[in-house]
Amino acid sequence: MNVLSHYKYVFQMQFLRNAGFLVFMILIQILISIGIVIGFTYLLPAPDTNSILFLATGAPTIILIFTGLVILPQQVGTAKSDGYMEFMRTWPVNRGVILGADTTIWLIITLPGIIISSIVAHLMFSPGYDISWTVIPALLMIALTSIGVGYGFSYLLSPTASLALSQVIVFGALMFSPVNFPLERLPEWLQALHQVLPIYSMAEVMRASLAASTFEATAGNYINLLIWCVLGYGGAIFILNRK
Amino acid sequence: MILNVEAVTKGYTGRRKNKMIANDNISLHIDEGEIYGLLGQNGAGKTTLVNQILGLITPDSGDIQLLGKSVLQSPARARSICSVQPQSQVPLGFLTPKQAVTLIGKMRAGKKFDAKRLDTLFEALDMGEWANKEGEKLSGGARRLTAFCMAVIAPGKLVILDEPTNDVDPVRRRYLWQVIRNLTNDGTSVILVTHNVLEAEKAVDRVAIINKGRILTQGTPSEVKSSVSNQMRIELSLASELDIEIPSWALSSHKNGSRLFFAIDPQEVTATIEWAKRQVDLGLIIDYSLSPATIEDAYIELTSKKAVGL
Repeated sequence: MNVLSHYKYVFQMQFLRNAGFLVFMILIQILISIGIVIGFTYLLPAPDTNSILFLATGAPTIILIFTGLVILPQQVGTAKSDGYMEFMRTWPVNRGVILGADTTIWLIITLPGIIISSIVAHLMFSPGYDISWTVIPALLMIALTSIGVGYGFSYLLSPTASLALSQVIVFGALMFSPVNFPLERLPEWLQALHQVLPIYSMAEVMRASLAASTFEATAGNYINLLIWCVLGYGGAIFILNRK
Repeated sequence: MILNVEAVTKGYTGRRKNKMIANDNISLHIDEGEIYGLLGQNGAGKTTLVNQILGLITPDSGDIQLLGKSVLQSPARARSICSVQPQSQVPLGFLTPKQAVTLIGKMRAGKKFDAKRLDTLFEALDMGEWANKEGEKLSGGARRLTAFCMAVIAPGKLVILDEPTNDVDPVRRRYLWQVIRNLTNDGTSVILVTHNVLEAEKAVDRVAIINKGRILTQGTPSEVKSSVSNQMRIELSLASELDIEIPSWALSSHKNGSRLFFAIDPQEVTATIEWAKRQVDLGLIIDYSLSPATIEDAYIELTSKKAVGL
């Protein structure tokens, strides 16, 4: 049997198994992303178009980080503790197929939030979107990095440790990462740290494709994402195949 | 020969670097169409052995061959030859039994998947009322039966069932054993992992008793019983949970709540009945029964270290 039909059945299995949860998550994602665009403007006394553009182009990145590095590790933790992970390991399919099918599902649940929040932001603030064709590869690359890293650490760590890490990430990504504001506002050591971590590169790549006339991403950003993506998936596949 | 396990040893390094031996030099083989029982207490090493057969973990030493090829070299092949019902419940989430079983069937058999077999299975196990209910809302027994169907919908050459009758009601247990027996008619072999010894005795062709990672004995149920078959067993209902003095001729004993069992030599039957009558008169026991040894007696004799009268 070929990989494609395995992929189809594994996808159906995983999707139907989580159907109710996924619908719920999609709704939450929509709320969060609209919340970021609107809610954060309350933090700023007199938000100018530039700050709003930062928020509007940061929200999709937050959604992708939230999905890949927070919700996904929690789901993996549950699958580990209730024995579903062990059961998946007995399936007569390539483990990469399971990872691929799951990735597709995670990708799908982020899309409604990203699209709807962008439309809402555009209608409310017209912050100056200038969407380039690169948005599709950029979105894929950011999502894959986030999901890959999420898989990597949640497979590697115990459920409790990965839950703790995901809590740190959600807080760090919202408050201490240059996603919703420029990098220069952070202290130097945090700036240096964000040159290595993938969050800043995700935000830059996303911004450059949603508002191409205002922002630019460097080749370094793309390379950073690529490395983290490979590390994440590589680690996850290694652990899935470990005996 | 479907499966050949040769001198497999597997240890784990526990906390404080203690080495735990889960499987100690285990050898066994399973023929086509055979139901093979692996009996043992919790922590005896049964599941570790199963995971090695599936190629999920690697033995420290020894070899495992499925259909003549080593599992160590191609674990992916092992997973397509074997289908498994895991010991823990399979969390079905929003999947209905019908969806879950169909998808696993298609995953295993592809286009050769036979939807009629699903109906036959559900009918044989009387699962119709649950077929289209979400897994989350099902009882433990219904979920266990669903996991069983997932293992046998498109069975490999070897089906591994880890405690398949847990949570299942007595009526459906009988249906379940029938389905398992029918599997072997098509040449499929079955490994039955259990600690439910009495049930296993009726179902298996051959059996191995595992304790602390070692196979203590293996053979047909009557061969295994023969190690203690010159014995009789007496079962007493105690009037209270207090211990009573066991006669000196008892060969081995164990207590289960207010029930006390011990094995005796057939020559001692008369003396034992007289002894039991006295205990009844004294009000220490309520009733007693005497029967030939079962595989459970063999199992307990082999796995328990406690010997009476020593």
